Amino acid sequence: MQPVETDILRDFSTLPDPMDVETYNFEHFRLKHLLHDIQRSLTNAGIAPNELAPDFILPSVGGETFRLSERRGKPVLLHFGSYT
Amino acid sequence: MFADWGNQVEFVDVLVRQAHPGPSVEAYRSLEQKVADAHRYVANEGIPWNVLIDDLAGMVHQVYGGLADPIYLIDVDGRVSLYVHWTNAPTLHMAIATLLRQDGRGVVLGGTNRFPHIGAAYTDGWKGLARGLPQSLVDMETSVPGSGVGAFVGHQLKPIIGSLTLKSRPLSSGKRLQAAAITGGIAGALFLGRRRSA
Repeated sequence: MQPVETDILRDFSTLPDPMDVETYNFEHFRLKHLLHDIQRSLTNAGIAPNELAPDFILPSVGGETFRLSERRGKPVLLHFGSYT
Repeated sequence: MFADWGNQVEFVDVLVRQAHPGPSVEAYRSLEQKVADAHRYVANEGIPWNVLIDDLAGMVHQVYGGLADPIYLIDVDGRVSLYVHWTNAPTLHMAIATLLRQDGRGVVLGGTNRFPHIGAAYTDGWKGLARGLPQSLVDMETSVPGSGVGAFVGHQLKPIIGSLTLKSRPLSSGKRLQAAAITGGIAGALFLGRRRSA
């Protein structure tokens, strides 16, 4: 299958403070992580209201491939969560 | 929430990093670890909707803001209707009802909700934290004293306070006051307990 272009690579490359794999996957939760979240919340990090939600393709637990832009026509509730 | 809206709205979860790593839930160093956790997440929580697995760098998560527990309501045209920085079911309930009244299009509830809804986190947060014990609790208490123990106490009180703090629909004004009083009481008790032991 040919790789499909989505918005994520482009948008990730333009983030002001992208984290590398090790920093993103921290080994210990620390106060700085909470403060970082608060700072990101206060500075509206993320996608603003009325903006087009960046398209992405991700695998699902069910073994299928999910592409956000293919879901248009029905509202989507998109949650980001951790196992812990 | 899903029982109320699952047939009109597509529910999607994206699995991100370990928020509270521990000996049996270590920080991800391979995609295989993450895939295995995603399967455990679905099985343990009995999730009936799509759970997606972000890549190891959490690129989708980072582009969407990288917060710990955010949720987006996206309209039928693929635009953001509401960005809730700290997931809260009653807010989403109102947002979905409003969006559907607008034929599924447009911004709702002002488009952004930044309120830190700690009542639900303190009542239901222990579940995730418990998976990383003992390290997760030590890390929480070291970082934000009282927060780990608070989550444990909230979990123990879930049969009593869960009907208020974990409601999927908005509370009435009276119930909201009760929930605020209970949350404040727990926080106050923890604060006084720590002062006495210091």
